[in-house]
Amino acid sequence: MDVAETISHHILDHDWGVALGGLRLPITTHSVTIFCVSVLLLLGLAWAARKHTSRGGKLVSVLMEEYVSFIRGGIVLPNMGPEGRSMLPYFCTLFLFILCVNLAGMIPEMKTATSNISVTAALALCSGALIIGSGLKFHGLIGFLKGFVPSGTPGWLIPLIFPLEVVSLIIKVCVLAIRLFANMLSGHMVLICLLLIIFIIGEMSKLFGVVSMVPAMALEIFMTCLELLVAFLQAYVFTLLTAIFAGSVIHTH
Amino acid sequence: MEDLLKPDVGVLLLTVCNFLLLVFLLKKFAWGPIIGALEKRENQIESDKQTAANARQSAEELKKELDERLAQISNEAAQKMAAAVKAGEAQKEQLLAQAKEQTERMLQQAKAQIEAEKNQALADVRGEIAQLSLLAAARVMQRQVKEDTADQIVAQVLEEVKRK
Repeated sequence: MDVAETISHHILDHDWGVALGGLRLPITTHSVTIFCVSVLLLLGLAWAARKHTSRGGKLVSVLMEEYVSFIRGGIVLPNMGPEGRSMLPYFCTLFLFILCVNLAGMIPEMKTATSNISVTAALALCSGALIIGSGLKFHGLIGFLKGFVPSGTPGWLIPLIFPLEVVSLIIKVCVLAIRLFANMLSGHMVLICLLLIIFIIGEMSKLFGVVSMVPAMALEIFMTCLELLVAFLQAYVFTLLTAIFAGSVIHTH
Repeated sequence: MEDLLKPDVGVLLLTVCNFLLLVFLLKKFAWGPIIGALEKRENQIESDKQTAANARQSAEELKKELDERLAQISNEAAQKMAAAVKAGEAQKEQLLAQAKEQTERMLQQAKAQIEAEKNQALADVRGEIAQLSLLAAARVMQRQVKEDTADQIVAQVLEEVKRK
């Protein structure tokens, strides 16, 4: 049994090999998962919004309002101030999108697309664009660039501080992608490894393989619960950090 | 396993497009109406709170004004009451003085009248005594009585005067 091959098969993205006129199209398991999640989110939330405006579903209305209030009052306004109001739809979408994509991996035959560095990098790029866009929107190009230099910095330090601050912002955005990717990947790797323990021991001795099922499954259930928590936690962390970085650009030193 | 850290540019671009399109569509069809309704209601609540605060302030101002007026009216009433008491006191003093004066006057009149009547009575008594004296003297002269008899007659006259 090739353990590495099994883990790779479970974790890695699979290209469906769709091409259009010799040009490879990025139709992969992860991109299809993302598309499905997006369609479901769009249909579900549009329906909920329609229910909300027509005052049809009381529970749905309350849930939607509580969610929006949570994102606005718990993440956007404390970190970005009133300037963040215009970006509220982005943060509302970001949290739900990451959460649903994280949780999609819990459904059999579906994959956790956020364990793909390309997907998390794409989300981080969008957040990076939002952060830079916020700086440009509220301070203009010159003001945004000035924001990289803390007030009171001696003139001779500016050539050193400025590139450092620029690199710091880039690293922050990269870390957003890597944190989400690593957390979701590691969780799924642990889950598959715990399952593989049963088969590896079973290959050595069928009796020990059966006996090892009990602790392995107990750990599997525990890790699955932990994964559920991590799915929520990472969606929150990604959204919160985006708001904090955007806020630090809007409210400079 | 090395493919794990190799980004797929196609998936990356597709995810970016997918996500941005999702943000746009959700803003238009989901978040927009919900946030709009939420903010509208919050504005309504804020406006109601402001109206309530204004009404409360107006009520407090009105209460303050009424309290001031009440205090002013109480003050005026107290002043009027004090003035009335003072006027009553003055009137009482005046009445008492008038009564006292009238009493004095009446007393004086009574005394004068009594004095006059007394004088009149004395004069009458004196006249009577003089007449009786004359009468006694005439009787003494007519009878030529002894000295003892004369004394008896004088005593008798005096006794008669006393009786009268």
